[in-house]
Amino acid sequence: MSTSLAKEETKKRRTLVLRPSSRAVNISVSGIHGVNQSTRHTNSVVGFSSRKSFSLGGGSKVLEKSAVQTPRQAARVFDEDDNDVTPQPLYQADPGAVQAKASRFFVDEISAGSASEQTTATGSFTMPFSRSVLGSSRISSQSTIESTNEEIEDTFTKRDIPINFPDVQGKRDTVKEQVTEEMLKELIHVYICETDSMSLLDIPSTFVSVDADDAETITEKNNQYAEVCRNRMGNDKYVDRSMQTLNGAAKNKHVQTDSMAMVDTATTVTTWDMYDTLRGPEQDNTVHNPEPEKVEYPEAVMDTNRGAERSVSVGSTASTASAASSLKEEVFGSSVNAESDLQLIMLSENFQQCLLVMERNILRNTFQPKLAAYRQLPVLEDLGSPVKPGTMEQRQEDTEKSRSQALERLWAFSCELSRGCSVSSMAWNKRNPDLLAVGYGEFDSSTQRAGLVCCWSLKNPTWPERVFHCDSAVTSLDFSANNPSQLAVGMHDGSIAIYNVHSQDNKSPVISSSECPNKHLGPVWQLRWTQQELSITGDEKVEALFSVSADGRITKWFVFNNGLDCIDLMKLKRIHNAKKKAGGNNTEKKSESVLSALTPGLCFDFHPTDSSLYLVGTWEGFIHKCSCSNSQQFLETFRKHFCPVNCIAWCPLSPDVFLSCSSDWTIQLWKQDCLNPVLGFTSTQMAVYDIKWSPKWATVFGAINEGQLEIWDLNSSILDPVAVQPAAPGVKMKSLLFATQTDCVLVGDSDGQVTVYQLKNFSVGESSQVNILEGLIHSAASR
Amino acid sequence: MAEVEETLKRIEAHKGVIGTIVVNAEGIPIRTNLDNSTAVQYAGLLRHLTMLARSTVRDIDPQNDLIVLRIRTKKYEIMVAPENGFLLIVIQNPCE
Repeated sequence: MSTSLAKEETKKRRTLVLRPSSRAVNISVSGIHGVNQSTRHTNSVVGFSSRKSFSLGGGSKVLEKSAVQTPRQAARVFDEDDNDVTPQPLYQADPGAVQAKASRFFVDEISAGSASEQTTATGSFTMPFSRSVLGSSRISSQSTIESTNEEIEDTFTKRDIPINFPDVQGKRDTVKEQVTEEMLKELIHVYICETDSMSLLDIPSTFVSVDADDAETITEKNNQYAEVCRNRMGNDKYVDRSMQTLNGAAKNKHVQTDSMAMVDTATTVTTWDMYDTLRGPEQDNTVHNPEPEKVEYPEAVMDTNRGAERSVSVGSTASTASAASSLKEEVFGSSVNAESDLQLIMLSENFQQCLLVMERNILRNTFQPKLAAYRQLPVLEDLGSPVKPGTMEQRQEDTEKSRSQALERLWAFSCELSRGCSVSSMAWNKRNPDLLAVGYGEFDSSTQRAGLVCCWSLKNPTWPERVFHCDSAVTSLDFSANNPSQLAVGMHDGSIAIYNVHSQDNKSPVISSSECPNKHLGPVWQLRWTQQELSITGDEKVEALFSVSADGRITKWFVFNNGLDCIDLMKLKRIHNAKKKAGGNNTEKKSESVLSALTPGLCFDFHPTDSSLYLVGTWEGFIHKCSCSNSQQFLETFRKHFCPVNCIAWCPLSPDVFLSCSSDWTIQLWKQDCLNPVLGFTSTQMAVYDIKWSPKWATVFGAINEGQLEIWDLNSSILDPVAVQPAAPGVKMKSLLFATQTDCVLVGDSDGQVTVYQLKNFSVGESSQVNILEGLIHSAASR
Repeated sequence: MAEVEETLKRIEAHKGVIGTIVVNAEGIPIRTNLDNSTAVQYAGLLRHLTMLARSTVRDIDPQNDLIVLRIRTKKYEIMVAPENGFLLIVIQNPCE
């Protein structure tokens, strides 16, 4: 279209005849053209510029036309020579493309090569161009290539016609090709090359060389023009007329977008963080919630050793049982009820462990001096406590007093559970020297109360670690050496149970002898796990449980079919009894008095080195030396006591020496091959219940009778005990145990308390204690 | 659960224990025998310190972990045990 206009410029103007044709597409175009025609007569300059303004009005007409959608006859333009100069539409719609009814193209021509007043801008229009074609001679060729789609905003007040892009609609029909894997992997070659130069603006110069061919014409024209300008003033030919450009109504449109939320995150690169990330899939189950704002941390955690710059993170996961998980805060977590939280942690095992540790810590604070004394560590002075003036003097006194051998009370194991129950036996754990098992049972009185076994730890003297309730009173205890978590308990009703102290959940005995047909009928006075070497393999030390009970049998127990079964090692036959029956299995009571063929055994002890040899103390007051291999006869009998022998103990340091104590108020020291005691000790006129050798000093042993604890040191005196600790009033001492690694003594009493005493100043002499003992014995025996 | 409750009560009854606080993962004391404001203050302050201590311990050896953090002050001792995001805080005056 502009081509024809360009032609107009250079050539003479011709009249153009507008003929309507039946092409609906050209409505808009022809409308403009019609407008153009009407304004053609005016000045070219004005005509150009006014075309625009007029075309608006024309445009509206055209809009009306298109809205009505009557197929109008398209106008065709012919010039004087009947050349069809109907402007071609700049947009050729695809025949197959859907043309929207309301589609409308508004082509705005911009012709180049015109006077400089020509504005290429929209001027009064406020329409954005999506594409506009500029250029003079290329338009016709390019009009088919490019389509001009312009959006018409709602500047026309009368109508709001939605504008569609037919070409867009056209594209909707194209089939979407599925992108397949092969297509993605295909190598696509992209060639980049230079396109042809497109000339977007070509304004030929308005200067013509003087030597040009048409220079004269142009000069003449210029002169004419200058004359016209001069004649303009006051000339009727020229009329001044003002125009007003119509401003389209402006409409503001707001667009709102979602604001971008900016989040600051910081993280530390710590060693454990990396470690956890590496191990992460193995153990972590929970989601990581990073913590965004920890701005105050970077200053606090500058670790200059690392050198790298860091900002602190808090990344943690809920830790599993393993302690190697990292720490993270869950600040974002949905608000959980405080109650459910409490429930959750109460049930958590880790929390229980936590509590345990905490309790021990607290207690250590309280008991620190005592525990330190126990473990023979220096007692730390409490730095915070104010030093009282009186204590200084007291300490001086103490240091003076402490030259002599004495007992110092450290603490007592007691709790409400055990209060009132009498302690019957105590045993150390073989593997963990801090663990103590205490059996409680009241068996002197007629009432049979249920027994109790408590496992105490040194770290917590206020509450036992394990509590087992037994059916009847507990009379003896021993820990196994091969399986350190097995505790054998002998009871007053003759049954033996083995408990597993390892886990806290196990409340019932693992194995019990209650179903065994051969079980003891009387109270099991002593139990012992003893390692007996297996002759075949030689290396393995098989452990067996031995027991001695009031029905006169010494039996060896072994686990059989989920229960215990026994073999009798020895039957304690009565000696000096007219009614003796040989090898009698008969334990029936014939009359009210307990006269059976077997005499109750009260205690026994295995030789420390030769585990097939053992000593038994009986009710009659005899001590029999027996062997495991000989179940019919005693090897030897030691007679001295005339009352029941309560306890026998081999000396752990000096072989062949043993002690015995009995209710006849005496303690006897024996040598194995001598049938008469070497030494005898008496201090008070009370039955001696328990006697134990000290594991460290060969000349020291302890004994308890009802009213006091006595520590004897044969090195110092063989007539009197060197240290005496009276029992608390109203309380009888029942059981004695030496601590294995320290110089402390534990005493159990009838009130349920186990008191720990420390032996002070029992120093070792110049020569070995054993030698001293031997010397003593020798000298005593030679008298 | 009753055992845990019992243990907690025992701890609270020990000689010199001023208070115990159980803090959940969000830093809110869920069980305490101190007054609420004190508990909240302790919980908030000790939380950060415990995490810092734990980070330190694990930085040195990632397989290691913090069990108890004890702060001995002039007047008393604060013991903090972190576990599972929770904190157990016990304040004891041992020389009472």
